[in-house]
Amino acid sequence: MEKKLQVKDLTVSFRTQDGKVQAVRGINFDLNKGETLAIVGESGSGKSVTSKAILGILAGNAIIDGGEIIYDGKDLLKITEDEFHEIRGDKIAMIFQDPMSSLNPIIKIGRQLTEAMILNGKARQKESRKRFNSTLKLLQGNMVEAVAKGNPVKAAEIKRKCADFDKFEYKHLSLESDFNDAHEAAAEAVFDLEPVLFEISKNALKDGKYRLKRICALALKSVHTYVVDADKDALVAATETVKGNISYAVKSGDYNGIVPSLERIQDILNRALALTAPNFFAMGYYMTFAKEPLPVMPVEELNKFLRKYLDDNFMLEFIADAKQGLMYSADVAYTEKAEAIKFLKENRKFFEAENLDKKDCMKAVKVFNKEVTEGIDRMEIVKDSLAYTFGTALENSIRKYFMASVKNIKEQERYAKQKAKYDALVAKQKTPSSEVIPASILDLEQLRANMLYQIDRLIAHYEKRIEERASRDYDAETVALIDFLKEKASGVVNKVTKQMAKTKAIKLMQEVGIPEPRKRYNQYPFEFSGGMRQRIVIAIALAADPDILICDEPTTALDVTIQSQILELINKFKADRKLTVIFITHDLGVVANMADRVAVMYAGKIVEIGTANDVFYDAAHPYTWALLSSMPDLDTNEKLDAIPGTPPNMIYPPVGDAFAARNKYAMKIDFEKQPPMFKISETHSAATWLLHPDAPKVDKPKSITDRIARMQERRNKDGR
Amino acid sequence: MEDNNEVLLKVDHLCQYFRVGSFETKAVDDVSFDIKKGEVFGLVGESGCGKTTTGRTIIRLYNPTGGDVFFKGTRIGAGTRNYENAIKDAKALYKKKIEDTSDNAEKEKLKAELKAIVDEQKQKIKEAKYDQNNCNKVYSKKIVSEVKAKYEELIAKESNPEKLAQLKKEYKAELYKAKNTKLSTQIQMIFQDPIASLDPRMTVKEIIAEGLVIQGEKDRKVIEEKVYEMLELVGLVREHAARYPHEFSGGQRQRIGVARSIIMNPDMIIADEPVSALDVSIQAQVINLLNELRHKFGLTILFVAHDLSVVKYFSDRIGVMYFGKMVELTTSDELFAHPLHPYTRSLLSAIPLPDPEYEKQRQRITYNPLAEHDYTVDKPSFREVAPGHFVRCNNAEFEKYQKELAE
Repeated sequence: MEKKLQVKDLTVSFRTQDGKVQAVRGINFDLNKGETLAIVGESGSGKSVTSKAILGILAGNAIIDGGEIIYDGKDLLKITEDEFHEIRGDKIAMIFQDPMSSLNPIIKIGRQLTEAMILNGKARQKESRKRFNSTLKLLQGNMVEAVAKGNPVKAAEIKRKCADFDKFEYKHLSLESDFNDAHEAAAEAVFDLEPVLFEISKNALKDGKYRLKRICALALKSVHTYVVDADKDALVAATETVKGNISYAVKSGDYNGIVPSLERIQDILNRALALTAPNFFAMGYYMTFAKEPLPVMPVEELNKFLRKYLDDNFMLEFIADAKQGLMYSADVAYTEKAEAIKFLKENRKFFEAENLDKKDCMKAVKVFNKEVTEGIDRMEIVKDSLAYTFGTALENSIRKYFMASVKNIKEQERYAKQKAKYDALVAKQKTPSSEVIPASILDLEQLRANMLYQIDRLIAHYEKRIEERASRDYDAETVALIDFLKEKASGVVNKVTKQMAKTKAIKLMQEVGIPEPRKRYNQYPFEFSGGMRQRIVIAIALAADPDILICDEPTTALDVTIQSQILELINKFKADRKLTVIFITHDLGVVANMADRVAVMYAGKIVEIGTANDVFYDAAHPYTWALLSSMPDLDTNEKLDAIPGTPPNMIYPPVGDAFAARNKYAMKIDFEKQPPMFKISETHSAATWLLHPDAPKVDKPKSITDRIARMQERRNKDGR
Repeated sequence: MEDNNEVLLKVDHLCQYFRVGSFETKAVDDVSFDIKKGEVFGLVGESGCGKTTTGRTIIRLYNPTGGDVFFKGTRIGAGTRNYENAIKDAKALYKKKIEDTSDNAEKEKLKAELKAIVDEQKQKIKEAKYDQNNCNKVYSKKIVSEVKAKYEELIAKESNPEKLAQLKKEYKAELYKAKNTKLSTQIQMIFQDPIASLDPRMTVKEIIAEGLVIQGEKDRKVIEEKVYEMLELVGLVREHAARYPHEFSGGQRQRIGVARSIIMNPDMIIADEPVSALDVSIQAQVINLLNELRHKFGLTILFVAHDLSVVKYFSDRIGVMYFGKMVELTTSDELFAHPLHPYTRSLLSAIPLPDPEYEKQRQRITYNPLAEHDYTVDKPSFREVAPGHFVRCNNAEFEKYQKELAE
């Protein structure tokens, strides 16, 4: 399974007046694509800090002591703020706990919703054009090198082919976007029609004039050769009937005149939506170059005909050429890669030298970087981000090294000074008013190892790439490349206008369950209730179509029905868009609903991680037991097992297991030594000494075994 | 609960409307229920359905628009809207009648009738206003008369002079106490947000003792002792008394709120989502605490919450509210075993349980009042479908529900 996000040994602490609060202490987890990871724990266990670190929005007094967060090959803890701008909100979005603090109180909801869409739309359009042009140009260059091999006639032919591709691709898109407009209009009209007809039948139509007018407009818009064609006249006639009677019907409340027409429209559109769409890619080619009108035949046959025409005249040849171009480019890159590996291995010892000079180092980095970038295969669609960011990452670790070396000297001086003062006072037999703060010396060797690690990692990475060479499927890659070009071209054509953004925003508002979205669109955040505000925040987060969604207790302040709706909504988006979700909450019912995997956090550490079934039916850590039994469910009658005491003060984290003080199963070793992660099964592990082979056998609390039995019983009953 | 039928709080056709511009929002609309002594009554519903408003109107943070609230048999809240409406209706009706008749004598007679009706309703308004403002006085009079009756009888029977003196002394003290009894201090409230409901500039001691001080307790030692007692009762220690609210964790703050509400020795507590803002483990602590106190003092609790599993665990009876109206009311077991109203069903289907396999299958039922009910002709009202099981329904639904229950 594809790994979307990897968190390795993340350690975060906060500077405060009282000392260093160790909020997160070395946590590890992976996140697969399309999966939901729930992080559970009490407040102060570090779950929010983890999510904020992923999004790069930690408070100013936070120190990241170590670790890596790898997304898309990049380490999010090391990239610059500018690079983060492209990821935050667009690729990784977050739903916050308190909706009021994440909405701007003086800007209308509508603008806040559409702002990101419009900005993103513009940026995407620009980026798409750039990527399309540059990729096509690169492909052309490589094809010329690979196929023509210096033959000018052949080269000119290839150039013409690329230009043709460019030309008919745009024709394809304009055809397809026309079709999409009509098709979407039909779908939307059907979507709107259903509740309207229902409300009319119940004699409770609200906002009737506007909605009916909109349906009419949409119905007319859906008239298109491949959407509503045969029934065109019937549709137009029915729409005209409705249009003529709207004012009368709304005023008098007598809808008898328009209901049959509305039903007719619904029927026609429903049939239209079931039709298959023609192959516009092929049609674009035919219409640009065939110089003949489109043959009249049913859509399925037409598709076959067009496909064949395209393949015969252009595509097969183009794909063959493109494949050669790709292979050529890859070959060149592989030789360069081998060279880069050789160079890096030889020159690695430069950084191992005893006395490093900063200027020399920086110069060396530039040379290193040049070698590495030459090894990049530019034709790859998925960018090799490790290679691309190699230079900056190495530079950063070098800077850190030199900064630390200067700081250490200063720190030592300060310590010596203070110590002398202190000792002098003690010698005079006075009580010093302050204590000597011990010098915090950074480990230079560790930092140097960090630098070398960057180089070693790249070498390993390149070596792995070269190994993979034999197993590459160039045919599939060529098809993927052409699909990529198609996608980028569609990004250029699909413009986001203000009106479109508004329609989309209103649709989103409707989807998240805001009644009367058109009216609400022009209101300010303070006019909404808590639940409604939370829905707006969710709509904003989803508007940008993110890759990873972090939900920080999104439903804690909402009541069950709305909570349930919002969870369903997030689940639906997750399924539709292959969204990866990190869900932070302390409500175990919600976790059971949402999570594929669950991580239980306590005092900045993950104490148990496993699939939802592992954690709920076979929990191993006493803290998980305590959490599970402290919450009443519908059948609980006995006294609740509250967890005694409060979480530990993280300025002075406990030496042993952090939960030991509140744990009735705690053993002596729990107070002395931190337990490692014990693996229970492939997917399930927990950090508690109880799992050690020498530990005494402890049974789960009775309330949990009882509950599991009850759950089993209820499931059996429902299953029957 | 035990077999006691003593009604502590009776809410009768309570209405609470808020004026929003030129419209009136009906936050609570015609809600009636009884709370028996010693029981926990849960009130659930989605946000904005008026459950908090009901609680606040009972404790008279708002003046009710219509309907009555009786506590220990004394009317503590009374709205005048029903009487005003009655006057309006009568006036309209008689105006038409008077216009219709041409006979002068008849007209005079109708006018007199109208005047009688208006006067009667006006008298009721007056009474309602008086009761609402003087419930403490009325209640203390009632207590005083009870004490008098009790002791006068005892004194009349007693012949031993020594004992008589003792009795008289007791009588005097009791009488003094009875005279100063205030009904309004016997209902207390615990608020949802423990941070917002504690004054950040007062120490815990001041916060907890505030009620006592306002009610005229002057002896500092008594106050101090009482505060310490309360602190220990809710699981805090004496040393906490001198601290400020910000020095406590969420759960501890909520404990301070609980201590503040029980120091007046109330008979009833209105708990307005006391655990919604807390962590799971702390929720359990606070719920256990409330449970303990309830058994210790025989408290009656009106528990407002939206977390149904907590309400189910804690309450004896549950009322479900939807848009200002009570739609179903019954014992908690009955409600979860046989929900009748479609809204209750939708609410119950939305509860997430800590059981992944079950959660994957759970289907939420949506509630659309338009689709579920047909109230165009047959108007709904709040009826008793089975003993102790009330549902808001019309005739057709009433029969349907009864059939369902019988199965």
